[in-house]
Amino acid sequence: MFFRMIFGAVTRQKQKLLMMACTMALGISLATAMLNVMLDVGDKVNQELKTYGANIMVEPRGASILSDLYGVREGVGVTDKFLIEAELPRIKTIFWAFNILDFAPYLPVQARANDSPEHVTLLGTWFSKHLDIPTGEQVDTGIINLKSWWEVQGAWLEDADESGVMAGAAFAARRGLKIGDTLSVAVMHQDGRERVAQLTVRAIYHAGDKADDGLLAPLAVVQRLSGLEGKVRRIEVSALTTPENDLARRAAQNPHSLSRHEWEIWYCTAYVSAIAYQIDEVLTDSRAKPVLQVAASEGAILQKTQLLMLLLTLLSLACSALAISNLVTANVMERSTEIGLLKALGATNGQISLVVLAEILIATLIGGALGYAAGIGLAQLIGHSVFGSAVAIKGLVIPIIAILILVVTIGGSIPAIHMLLRLRPTEVLHGR
Amino acid sequence: MSRQKMYLKIILSSLMRRRSRMMVALLAVAIGATVFLGMGAVYYDIPRQMGREFRSYGANMILVSSGADSAMRLADARRAEALIPSEKLVGATPFRYETMYYNMQGLTVVGTDMDAVRKTSPYWRIQGEWPRGENQILLGTDIAENARIYAGTSIVLDIVPEKGRKFKKEFRVSGIVRSGGAEDGFVLMPMQTLESLLGNPGRASVVEMSVAADSAELERLSETIRSEIPEVTPRLVKRLMNSEAAVLGKLQVLVYLVTAVVLFLTMICVGTTMMTVVMERRKEIGLKKAIGAENRSIISEFMGEGLVLACIGGLLGLVAGYFFAQAVSMSVFERGVSLPFFLVWLTLLASLVVTVLASLIPVARATDVEPSLVLRGE
Amino acid sequence: MKKNILELHEVSMFYGQVKALQNITFNVREGEWLAIMGSSGSGKTTLMNIIGCLNKATHGAVFLDGEKISRLNARDLTVIRRDKIGLIFQQFHLISYLTAVENVMIAQYYHSMADEKEALAALERVGLGHRGRHLPRQLSGGEQQRLCIARALINHPRLILADEPTGNLDEANQNTVMDIFHQLHKQGSTIVVVTHSPDVAAHAQRIVYLEFGRMVKDVQNAHPHGRAGAPAEAGR
Repeated sequence: MFFRMIFGAVTRQKQKLLMMACTMALGISLATAMLNVMLDVGDKVNQELKTYGANIMVEPRGASILSDLYGVREGVGVTDKFLIEAELPRIKTIFWAFNILDFAPYLPVQARANDSPEHVTLLGTWFSKHLDIPTGEQVDTGIINLKSWWEVQGAWLEDADESGVMAGAAFAARRGLKIGDTLSVAVMHQDGRERVAQLTVRAIYHAGDKADDGLLAPLAVVQRLSGLEGKVRRIEVSALTTPENDLARRAAQNPHSLSRHEWEIWYCTAYVSAIAYQIDEVLTDSRAKPVLQVAASEGAILQKTQLLMLLLTLLSLACSALAISNLVTANVMERSTEIGLLKALGATNGQISLVVLAEILIATLIGGALGYAAGIGLAQLIGHSVFGSAVAIKGLVIPIIAILILVVTIGGSIPAIHMLLRLRPTEVLHGR
Repeated sequence: MSRQKMYLKIILSSLMRRRSRMMVALLAVAIGATVFLGMGAVYYDIPRQMGREFRSYGANMILVSSGADSAMRLADARRAEALIPSEKLVGATPFRYETMYYNMQGLTVVGTDMDAVRKTSPYWRIQGEWPRGENQILLGTDIAENARIYAGTSIVLDIVPEKGRKFKKEFRVSGIVRSGGAEDGFVLMPMQTLESLLGNPGRASVVEMSVAADSAELERLSETIRSEIPEVTPRLVKRLMNSEAAVLGKLQVLVYLVTAVVLFLTMICVGTTMMTVVMERRKEIGLKKAIGAENRSIISEFMGEGLVLACIGGLLGLVAGYFFAQAVSMSVFERGVSLPFFLVWLTLLASLVVTVLASLIPVARATDVEPSLVLRGE
Repeated sequence: MKKNILELHEVSMFYGQVKALQNITFNVREGEWLAIMGSSGSGKTTLMNIIGCLNKATHGAVFLDGEKISRLNARDLTVIRRDKIGLIFQQFHLISYLTAVENVMIAQYYHSMADEKEALAALERVGLGHRGRHLPRQLSGGEQQRLCIARALINHPRLILADEPTGNLDEANQNTVMDIFHQLHKQGSTIVVVTHSPDVAAHAQRIVYLEFGRMVKDVQNAHPHGRAGAPAEAGR
């Protein structure tokens, strides 16, 4: 009989049930979409923040006292310290290899262009170098990905281009260079004699910093001219990182101050300091430093974004919960006559509650399934229109939603049912 | 009794004597209004707050000297700063680069304003303390590591002024600075200290400014400075500007989309709840028609009820929404939220429209029904 | 000869294939008390809906107080209904959130002007003067029905139309209600009572019998159930 009553209610009160299921579906789709977006927003924003460029700088150990920034000449004790180019693919073999997005080596040398006495920095680098990683993976990496904000007139160089050069906007303007011009570049070789190469300006770049006042060439060309084959001066690495916390800050000061347990947590979390430490381990005589301007700010923005999304998600969860339980309450109240009648017929409170709850749960189940599907769709819509990529669907969302629905529907119907059960059947039946 | 008074009596009785149902409806409206105002405030205020957060990347406008002389006068820089609206200027820090010697090795010594630099370069990590006295300095972590100097110890530097003889001076290293950038190899000291040692006060090599503005506005500001104060040349830090525009743009779209979705769904939820509450009253509508009410009267009664509900619910929602927005803003950005006044009106309007519409749809359907159908039996 | 308040001419009502009413023809004169008798499914509720301007007949003509109502639109029907007809329902149909006096006033309000004094006076007439501030759920079934009658009378209708007015009442209350009807009849009101109960019908002057949608008998009741002489409780 119980099932016949429910069956009857479900099939014969289609409209009411449908409306309830619809509202449920709306609320649940909102919760699903928000939860999915929230859980994935960190990764997505992290990817976006990579446009700020490298967040880890690798230099030879003990070579960094002299700054190349403000007019201090290349000098004693510095020029003989290098990193080994052949070791670079190892960066992609560290524990957090998957989080390393791009990296590029740099070899700056002082050069003279067209026999002018003035020195200009000629920077050798990878543009989009194809690498075979020891793990069998293959990657293309270089500054084309790393310096996404550069404006380049003409096409980026190719790594195999032995006779091409890119000129910084400031340098080009000063020398009146145009794309297609040939430049004779003289570089002091290790043996003390100048080597000269005729290079064609393939492109002019505008970086918005001091790089504008220099030249850019494939690493191999610069190495050959300067006699520094297989050597690079520094490496910039762009990695996806987790915002730093106290543990990470302590580790950044000195990883050895941590306890064994803490150290393991730190090492196995994608903190920028942990990744830098792991890079240190694979490159000989290297010193990898987080670029705090990028790394710290990234962390701040990531945290704020996640917190913001978390709060917005909580709001929408609370709202859908309230809306659903409210609707359930309204629906139960509407049945005052029916409940009064059932009581008059001799149904116990328990039986009545069971019937009403079962009906509501059926509506919820239908609404929940529809809402979940719609919510996933909404999340993807947000993912694609904001980040241009799909939002990862987290399985975690399903139990959260399920618990939410259960608590909300039961919580929403029990006070209302309770209230109605207190009514005397006569009041309900003759009350109108 | 006047018609208006009777009308009010009907509406108020309906609201007051059907309390539990009306609470349900009121709650629905209040939720809607809360979400509307809360999300509206977030939509309106958060992108700007976020924009300010991006200033943690540091200076996005650099002032350098226009002349052949590599240093500019600080007075000129101050005039340039004055051209930027004060609420947009997060900070402006002068830097003066000089060379001093430690164990015969040249070091870049930077004189700066220690208070301002904290605003323009919030990402610096200091081990120890910021300098607080004349003779206190910060040491870059690379120098400190190489020379094995720790925070709290002293260091003696050789100073060669432009005129006069070389002399030694002892400084207390109050802290070690780490940024992962050029600062790691610098010695930083208060500007006054540097000026008193080397003379030539009131000059700076560069002034770094952090301005909370989008790229278009930055371009405009830089153009203004260029034309108004020819002594200095503003340079925009392209990397920060472009990346900020890109990332902030996405974040804004994200907030906008999320807001739109939440608002849309909540409004529908509110609508259906209202509809459920009103649908229950089909019989009442039939009865009123039977005893001679015209559709117009019935609709105006429901509209009246909706109006009262919308106003009360809207007001409740305004309060709750404001607290929500304030809570979000305080916990995420540690700043209060600024709520545009039109949003208050918009929230009330939205709750009004949604409530009245949601109650009118079922009423309109019920008034279509022949009263006899509604009244026939239970 | 008094003039006809209600005239039905060849009235039929079809719901698709179902013929609820067929060729009903009768008149009701001013001041007459008519009972429409029939068992369930005889079409009496349909007939009552047509007379009460709640529904339109599919065929035939209906005149109320000289006006042809069978072809009016819903809006005009509403106006006729509130001006000329007082409805009394088996289930009372009171508005739950309005007090007794307000339930009367709402009918005045839809008609013209709400007047609390007049509404209280109407309650007084049906013996509910002391219950004016009570909500319907606080009233007994008989009181609710009397309230319903007071509401029906408040706008001085040309025709009082009652649908099983005692269907939900016990005998004592039934008598009270019938006393009120007798008093109204004496005051000259035109009353149409739709009922399945011969007991109730016996009070009327004239009885129309319906069976399967057809009018089978139209008889004058020579000896109406006489309680007219007994003083109604209404004056209480």
